[in-house]
Amino acid sequence: MKRRSIVALCLVAVLAAAVAAATSGATKKATASSITVWLQTDAQNGWPDLVAAANKQFQADHPGVSVNVQYQDWTTHLQKFDATLAAGTTPDVIEMGNTEMTKYMAAGAFQDLTSLKGTFDNSANWLKGAAAWGIYNGKLYGVPYYAGSRVITYRTDLFKKAGIKKLPNSLAALTADARKLIAKNPKKGFSGLYIAGEDWYSALGFIYDYGGSIAVQVSGKWKGTLESPKSMAGLAAYKSFFLAASRAGKTAIEASPNPNPYDVYAQGQAASVIGPAWYTCCTGKYKSVTGQFVMPGHVPGTVMPGFLGGSDLAVPIGANKALAADWIKDFTSTSSERGLEQKGNIPNATNLLGNSVNERAAARSWFVPQAKHWVDVENGNILRNMLGQILTGNLTIKQATVSADDNIASVLNQS
Amino acid sequence: MTRARRRRLRQTGWNALGLAVFVVMVFPVYWMVTTAFKPVTEIISVTPSWFPLHPTLGHFRAALRQPYFWEDVKNSLIIVGATVAISIALAFLAAIALARYRFSGRKLFVVLVIGIQMLPQAGLIIPLYVVLAQYHQVNALTGVIITYMTFVLPFSVWTLRGFLIGIPKELEEAAMVDGSTRLGVFVKILLPLMAPGLVATSVFAFITSWNEYIFARVLLNDQSKQTVTVWLSYFSGTSRNTDWGALMAASTLTAIPVVIFFLLVQRRIAFGLTAGAVKA
Amino acid sequence: MVTAAETAPFRSRRRRRFWGRVGRASTPYWLIAPVVAVTGIVLGYPLYWLVKLSTEHYGLFELIRRAGQSVGLANYRSVLHDRVFWHTLVRTIVFTVANVGLTMVLGILLALLLVRVSKSVRLLLTSGLVLVWSMPVVVAVQVWIWMTNFENGVLNYAISKLGFAGFANHDWTQTTFSQLTLVTTLIVWGALPFVVITLYAGLSQVPRDLIEAAEVDGARPWRVFRDITVPILRPILLILTSLSIIWDFGVFTQPYLLIGQAKITTANYLMSIYLFEEGYFKSDYGRGAAISLLMLLIVAVLSVFYVRKMVRIGDA
Repeated sequence: MKRRSIVALCLVAVLAAAVAAATSGATKKATASSITVWLQTDAQNGWPDLVAAANKQFQADHPGVSVNVQYQDWTTHLQKFDATLAAGTTPDVIEMGNTEMTKYMAAGAFQDLTSLKGTFDNSANWLKGAAAWGIYNGKLYGVPYYAGSRVITYRTDLFKKAGIKKLPNSLAALTADARKLIAKNPKKGFSGLYIAGEDWYSALGFIYDYGGSIAVQVSGKWKGTLESPKSMAGLAAYKSFFLAASRAGKTAIEASPNPNPYDVYAQGQAASVIGPAWYTCCTGKYKSVTGQFVMPGHVPGTVMPGFLGGSDLAVPIGANKALAADWIKDFTSTSSERGLEQKGNIPNATNLLGNSVNERAAARSWFVPQAKHWVDVENGNILRNMLGQILTGNLTIKQATVSADDNIASVLNQS
Repeated sequence: MTRARRRRLRQTGWNALGLAVFVVMVFPVYWMVTTAFKPVTEIISVTPSWFPLHPTLGHFRAALRQPYFWEDVKNSLIIVGATVAISIALAFLAAIALARYRFSGRKLFVVLVIGIQMLPQAGLIIPLYVVLAQYHQVNALTGVIITYMTFVLPFSVWTLRGFLIGIPKELEEAAMVDGSTRLGVFVKILLPLMAPGLVATSVFAFITSWNEYIFARVLLNDQSKQTVTVWLSYFSGTSRNTDWGALMAASTLTAIPVVIFFLLVQRRIAFGLTAGAVKA
Repeated sequence: MVTAAETAPFRSRRRRRFWGRVGRASTPYWLIAPVVAVTGIVLGYPLYWLVKLSTEHYGLFELIRRAGQSVGLANYRSVLHDRVFWHTLVRTIVFTVANVGLTMVLGILLALLLVRVSKSVRLLLTSGLVLVWSMPVVVAVQVWIWMTNFENGVLNYAISKLGFAGFANHDWTQTTFSQLTLVTTLIVWGALPFVVITLYAGLSQVPRDLIEAAEVDGARPWRVFRDITVPILRPILLILTSLSIIWDFGVFTQPYLLIGQAKITTANYLMSIYLFEEGYFKSDYGRGAAISLLMLLIVAVLSVFYVRKMVRIGDA
């Protein structure tokens, strides 16, 4: 019928116009009268003064250019970043989590900063582990911003009551101490050291302590190495440690919907917990009897390798590289990094390291394989599931690691 | 038992059931509000406490210390107010067309209205951002308003059409015969009968837009332009611990405007009930 | 005085006048034009983008360069050959039926209750429903987690107090079934306010004297409901059912947050989570677009019965 076809034609016309308008050329980048910086809310809550100082320094060097800092949150910032990449309206500086970098570097989302490396303070002394986060194919794409390691937060009063006079300096000593603490506090569900069964950040340190690893790249192809003898020895050590020291769920994780370790601690259900150093924020009524120490490795006197968390600062494509790099320089300057260190973080250079527990724990650290598809391994919970199966005994260590290695290889080697 | 006494007993029975339903439905909200008043030790304590034993206003103070609360409330009110007002008006017009006219292309329009709602929203974020960026509608309240309208319009059209169908056409014809003007019929007969439907749809549109998060987060950059739902997300977006007390207090604060809006319009639903005494 | 019989032809001549006189035959097009314009302008490009991308290999790399490589129907084929897709589809359909069924049945019962209670209780109950409605989903999820905590949650406490001692430390997150049951309670709880209030508004269109006349004639409540109330409510019931199907099939936030990203596996995927994990989390936008369009098709098929009925009622 004539009228129906007119109606349909009008609808198509509206849609076509909309498509044409949207695809006609990208939006032009604004002239350099301001730069946009994306930082996480950690900065807004934790060290707003350092941000202000960096802005002040930047504006002194570039009068007439304002800095627009926008605070993002971890759950949505990548979706937003992807949208800006599609529209051509990327920020000039973006804070990226260290595990988020590789995927975006491989996709070409960032500008090459290799030639500018010398302009960043202390770049010659960057922590090796932290510097590696921002390097891909030999080029520098991200400047290490700050790091954090894992420490043991403990109840000084309970340790004293259990007769522990010296802090343990080996895994065996720690296990024995945990057993003593449980014996002295026979409450149901009380842990000597609370560690969630599937807390892979803490558990995989054991693998690296015994010389193993998660995966290696052999002539371009990734191969899972969890089934190697050293890795399996580490997992066996983890299993016996967990069974002796922790009363957490074997398939529990260290975050919602399972209890947060610091909440377990604050409820008085654990004599110690392992986790980031900022756990001291939330110790409830045990604030005055809380201390921290470095988790020991299985060889006496060594440090258990801890997962080095942290962030990088990168310059997305389409941004004003010179101005962005300058702002990053100001925000990672020696004084700024010292400020970060004061707030309990690990600064990005060895010459700035202090002697806090957090920094000593970083002496031995481990990081995830820097593969393009590593985030898919994490999102697929392959490592968590493996730990759960080992701890519950549903699979032997050999079976669980072989299965995990197969999964990891197929995920990492996809095109 | 006299009949009056039996009726009163039955009424009490219904009221008791109503109260029981109220308690069960509202319990989670009660939990949220009481948590906002509990000190931290009570919130994380192993044994839950039904009532805050040592109530504190500290969390509310902490919540209000998060910057831009009042600006964000204002933004939310502007965005949601505009969305609801414009959408209900446009949807009403379209619903009239669907319910009262036969025109070709009608089925196509219905397909469009239903189809939009079936699209998973996750897939729309990136292209929508690209379109709005093209028209300089990113980081602008108008961009968010027009986005929300696109989500609110379909179900509003669909729901209002349903209510309109329930009103027989003959009513309007009969009133015309009796000599009223067209506008008089519209205002005195159609609108009052549609009032409950309009109110229910407006409340739904209001709440859906008020609580919408992901599009507001992606489209609005400056904290001074964001909505209060985005403001709320700052309490749980860090890589550190979440301040549950402050989050619950903040949520309680963000829920208040919604409740006020409802209390203002709810009389219209009750009014509609008595106006529905239409002689068949 | 003019009798009814004499006025009949006169009345039918006037019949078309009200709606006919408001404008010419182009009136309906002007009435729907604003809605079409807004949705067309905003969603035109996204729809085109989705369709185009579903036929391309389009990942983060391609997103940055804004150019994908055409692969025809490969994305669709890969999804339709994925066993996880089919398992998830079945699971989601069962989930949707359970949610919509519970929502509608409880919704009708509560709306009828609202009619029967006295004015003050009614105001209290509707205010309570609005409070429920206004609670942000993130917060509701967290309250649910607290309430169902196996160690000290109030749910286990209440159930064991009611006599089911075996539930004293029940872990509700153990099996997929109980996980999805928890999600269902959260979703139905959150969906009831809209359904109840809309149904109550619809009930107000039921003429009271019709009901009273029937009751005087001795009809029992069930008959009154079935023969008088339901026919009048039918359009609204159909609308709410079709909307519920559409929303519950594609629900994302509640299951994703309540189950938690770490506990989501292919064994407890729902369609929207499958879309998110297989498409956007992996930055495989082409695949995500294909899954989105397939979901659109499936929901259309699921709700076609109700939509057809609605359209037919309106045409009567």
